[in-house]
Amino acid sequence: MSKRIWHHPEAPTDETTVAWRSTGQLENTAEFREWLEREFPRGAAEMANEEEAETSRRSFLKLMGASTALAGFGMAACRRPEAHILPYAQAPEWVIPGKATYYASSFPRMGGATPLVVTSFEGRPTKLAPNTLHPDNAGTDAFAQASVLDLYSPYRSTRVLKNGQPSSRKDFEAAFAAIAKDKEAKIGVLFGRDDSPTRARLRKELAAKFPNARFYGYEALEGEAHRAAGDGNRYVADFSKADRIVSLDCDFAELDPVGPVTPFFDRRKPEGRGYDQKPSKDGLNRLYSVESGFSLTGGMADHRLRIKPSQLLQVAARIAKGLGADAPAGGVPESDQRLSDWIDPMVEDLKEHGGRSIVVAGSRAPEVVHHFVAAINAKLGNVGEGKPLRFVATGNAGLGDIEALTADLKSGAVQHLLLFTPSNPVFDAPADLKFGEALAKVVTSIHFGLRTDATAHAATWHVPASHYLESWSDSRTANGVHTVVQPLILPLYPDCASELEVLAALLSEEGTLMTGEGEEGAASPAHAEIRKTFQGIAGEKEEDWKKFLRDGFYADSKYEDAEIELDSDRALELANAAPVPKDGGLEVVFATDGSIYDGRWIDNGWLQEAPDPISKVSWDNVALIAPKTAKELGLYDKIVKLETPTAAVPPDKEGSKRSGQLISIKVNGVEVEVPVQIGFGQAEDTIIVSLGYGQGFNADDELGRGPLNENHVGLVGVNSGFNVYPLRTTAAGYFAALDGAPVTTGRRYSIAAVQEHHSMYGRALAREVSTLEDKKKGDFEHQLASVKKHGMDSHVPPNISLYKAELPTDPLHQWGMAIDLSSCTGCNACLVACQAENNIPIVGKEQLAMGREMHWIRMDRYFAVQPLKDKDGNYVEENGEKVYDEENIELIPQPVACVQCESAPCETVCPVNATVHTEDGLNAMAYNRCIGTRYCANNCPYKARRFNFFDYNKRNPLIPANLYRGPLGEKQVGTAAHLQRNPNVSVRMRGVMEKCTYCVQRLKDSTIRQKRRQKEKSLATGDSAETRIGTPELRIPVDSVKVACQEACPSDCITFGNLLDEKDSRMVRAKHVERNYDLLNYIGTRPRTSYLARVKNPNGRMPNAASIGKATIHMHYAAERQTLS
Amino acid sequence: MANFFPRWTNLLPFKIGICVIALGAGVVAAFTYYATPKTQAVGYQPSQPIPFSHRIHVEQVGLDCRYCHSFVDVSGHSNVPTSNTCWNCHQHVQKESPKLQPLRDRFDPEHPDFGKPVEWVRIHKVPDYAYFNHAAHVNRGISCQSCHGRVDQMEVVYQAENLSMGWCLECHRAPEKHLRPMEEVYNLEYDPEKYIAANPHLGVETTEELGLKLKELWQVQPRESCATCHH
Repeated sequence: MSKRIWHHPEAPTDETTVAWRSTGQLENTAEFREWLEREFPRGAAEMANEEEAETSRRSFLKLMGASTALAGFGMAACRRPEAHILPYAQAPEWVIPGKATYYASSFPRMGGATPLVVTSFEGRPTKLAPNTLHPDNAGTDAFAQASVLDLYSPYRSTRVLKNGQPSSRKDFEAAFAAIAKDKEAKIGVLFGRDDSPTRARLRKELAAKFPNARFYGYEALEGEAHRAAGDGNRYVADFSKADRIVSLDCDFAELDPVGPVTPFFDRRKPEGRGYDQKPSKDGLNRLYSVESGFSLTGGMADHRLRIKPSQLLQVAARIAKGLGADAPAGGVPESDQRLSDWIDPMVEDLKEHGGRSIVVAGSRAPEVVHHFVAAINAKLGNVGEGKPLRFVATGNAGLGDIEALTADLKSGAVQHLLLFTPSNPVFDAPADLKFGEALAKVVTSIHFGLRTDATAHAATWHVPASHYLESWSDSRTANGVHTVVQPLILPLYPDCASELEVLAALLSEEGTLMTGEGEEGAASPAHAEIRKTFQGIAGEKEEDWKKFLRDGFYADSKYEDAEIELDSDRALELANAAPVPKDGGLEVVFATDGSIYDGRWIDNGWLQEAPDPISKVSWDNVALIAPKTAKELGLYDKIVKLETPTAAVPPDKEGSKRSGQLISIKVNGVEVEVPVQIGFGQAEDTIIVSLGYGQGFNADDELGRGPLNENHVGLVGVNSGFNVYPLRTTAAGYFAALDGAPVTTGRRYSIAAVQEHHSMYGRALAREVSTLEDKKKGDFEHQLASVKKHGMDSHVPPNISLYKAELPTDPLHQWGMAIDLSSCTGCNACLVACQAENNIPIVGKEQLAMGREMHWIRMDRYFAVQPLKDKDGNYVEENGEKVYDEENIELIPQPVACVQCESAPCETVCPVNATVHTEDGLNAMAYNRCIGTRYCANNCPYKARRFNFFDYNKRNPLIPANLYRGPLGEKQVGTAAHLQRNPNVSVRMRGVMEKCTYCVQRLKDSTIRQKRRQKEKSLATGDSAETRIGTPELRIPVDSVKVACQEACPSDCITFGNLLDEKDSRMVRAKHVERNYDLLNYIGTRPRTSYLARVKNPNGRMPNAASIGKATIHMHYAAERQTLS
Repeated sequence: MANFFPRWTNLLPFKIGICVIALGAGVVAAFTYYATPKTQAVGYQPSQPIPFSHRIHVEQVGLDCRYCHSFVDVSGHSNVPTSNTCWNCHQHVQKESPKLQPLRDRFDPEHPDFGKPVEWVRIHKVPDYAYFNHAAHVNRGISCQSCHGRVDQMEVVYQAENLSMGWCLECHRAPEKHLRPMEEVYNLEYDPEKYIAANPHLGVETTEELGLKLKELWQVQPRESCATCHH
């Protein structure tokens, strides 16, 4: 009997947008339809291989039956195991057993630290949240959220290495003291590019003690912006003041911050940040983005121009020329018609917003572009007091770069090198520098790091670094606010040392290295050092210091403004030397990776498993290539197998057997192999491939690359991805021209991508409107009013429920959520925050490819394209088919977790009542009651439920086939990872369904905490039996509880609260704006989470402006085959 | 054809059926009696490393529950006192008592147990997947006694109630049986009848009326949905 396929009604005829999540869906491949129609994903319901079949359910039951019977004879299980309660011997201050304590700290990083509040349970830091008091608070990103996992990582470096071999801390201390005692020593210190006031102070003291000392700064992706800005100078953006923003390949919303980004998103909401104003397009900003492939910033853009990376200079020059800026035009080739048509109206728009606009170039863009951008901003009057840009002097002046360091290493000017940089220069420095060879020349090199990476093995000594949650330090945020880095726990491993501890030891007479806790519980020497720095800045008052530790920052501190010096000679010189873009020549962009940044997070399981925001590939990097270029190169059909009606499983297989074609790309004679995938919205003739992968391989590698550098990575990072750093040189650090076209090598590599499973199939999932008047859809007001009527909702009659409308009964709290797509970028911050909060395991590449990922939040990423219209508003047709506007492919992200339906389809099908509704409107999961029928997941229209196919928490999913060995499989390494767990959330085991429950543990905590009001009020009145306790005492204050995803979000797109607070709650106000709609409203589930349509604010003078803001996502199903040219 | 089976076998299937049913019922009855918390948990009275007597500390010394279990109204977890809480008094009182030797060892820098916690044996335990919250109960007029019994009279603590889910729900469905004025929550000698007699202004006459009055007055609506305790 075949399964009946539910045919959804067709979309209204005037809906023209073509939308897709994956290439398979766009091309409507057989496999994609199978995903859609099957009850379970293929691998999910069946035994995948012989090994698995050996422990079939039947044999398992036989064995279990026998062992249960045997166990019964002894009745051993009936005896109650003796458990112990271990109270503290000495009660620590502030710790209440069972309650979290919160400390302010910060995560130091390039471009400004992330201020944090760290949650700690009985001394274990478990969760990070942004510090909302901080003036530079801009939420957290996925990296900050995942950084807590590194602290507990079983693959973290734990002991001192000498020449790559285990050694002892004692031997190291002796060697170190010898260097510290020699005042003539030629010491070099390589820092990261983050800024720490204490480091800056100690640097001066070191220079005084060691006259021959030299200091350098390096991070792999530091780019060239600082070269143009001058030593240690930087632009910081204040997006609240910017009406127009032009991003020249700058992913400021995600990977390349230029200032706190939350204010930018506040101005993407027509109703204002609080959703309390009449919707208006006046307050909205407008973002122009010029880039090669989609970045998340580009996905937000109102207008987006696709260019080859080498054309960026032309674009910058054209803008400068259009504005009449003081920048040289010589040497720059004129931009072609396509670019001019796009740039000229934009320049007009910029001119109208002089002093209220921002033009930023990506920090990795060539130096010359930054010279032009500086001239542009100066011309527009965007820099200065009260303007959207500040030009500041950071504390990082006086640091040499990696080229200077390499030269000094080779010349012998540096004989002892200390490496503190979080990057991995032996692996990631430009290939032509041959940093590894230079490093081998020094007498002593000491590497401090969390991982035993390539540099750790190349250095004479490797010392495990203390995690930032284990060490005292200080940092500066984007605007230079002096911010504390507080330890939450002593270093987990006795060998660990922090940067400031080492610098303090270097300054001491005897060179004694003191780390962690001193004698008799004294604080680390770093504590004294940062206090000294603080006193130098803020004075000696004890109160100020206490406040600094409590709040996490010193408010009266920021960077000094720097003098802008426009260097047009240098710009001209560079412009003349810049490579001229060739027609037809392919270029490769070495992108920053959205999951592992420059490779430093390769051993972080949360980040590795979080799908890349654009390509949606987990655990690997891939080369992305535009569809048109792929077709020209003959690759397209090899990547996307077009529908073959006869083939049940297409040649690139499905699920765990899916694989990508490997191509070989060659730059300057160096060749690397990378799997290729289609990158939509990408410029033609570009290949985009991210950096950082391919650090180590073992014998299990499917391409047989191992064993190679196996001990540089842990089990998370081993065999993961492809290393493209060898293609990168000093001259071409960001992009390079390819030697000829890429060729397929005939080999394939398995790829785990998440966007072909868990497809919701329905209409108008993500919705979008434009501020621009549309002939058919009317003006902005009309478009807003029609949001609720997009797609199916325009013509489906209201749904009548079969069930009695029994509303939840709680008169105090009814929870609800609204997600504003207007500001959601699709970064993974919420997804990782949810993973940290709710004890969600990682499942590994193998399981993920089968569609078994456990993320409670699924970050959908849709592409959409509009048919082209001519001037009269008629569709442009070619050979009877509509022509689509490839220049304006739009990207819409949409996070989907359980939407807490009021009439939840999952609840009615559970045979054991394991998923039931609570009085306060949650769709709860009782894990201990679940027997794993998975009926609920099958009946969930939002595909929000996740099933534990294996005991991912107990068995290590990263060892191949380990999960299939059942109880014989290897367990998780070490116990450190358990320390990260949230004690208020059950750790689920095999065979249990799970899903989002709006962080019910936080809701419970807040409502229970509120109950203390009763005690207070009774004590005040003196007679509790006569004291009335009601809603004012028992309802939690408006918007006082935040769920993990909402808390983490840098774009402030998630609002959560109590529906009964009415319009006092920001969430309720958000739900009352016109853009609000329910996902799959027409099926009548009455979800508690609703979405707000995205608003695009296009400029009517721009080409094809009419096709922007139309990306309402209609998932067409075999109705009409549309392919891109 | 001869009869293979004698006549009495006619009723045999019926008899077998009866036996099977009786046996099944017996097994179920035995299981429900012997293998449930009611039998398994109630009365559990392990010996502790230090034979601490609640009775002496309450009746003779007059300590309040919260002197030692100090965070019971703040945290979900009711804390067991740290060694230094004990030491506050016992560095002066009962200095020679051999029963307190384990405690003294923990304050003796020479002893191997120095600085280590006292390992109390856990008596009251709900499963890991049940999140019982003390603060939620004591701040809403449910006394310690409702779950732990008259600990003030216990020489050696034992489990007084079965702490099964059914037992929890009994009270969640009818909280009036256990509600008492906030002032009496930590008073384990509380007698509702005496309280009513002493407070005629409340206008209630029976224990049940008092419970119902407090329930209404305080808007007490205990939950019965799973997520109340399981998350």
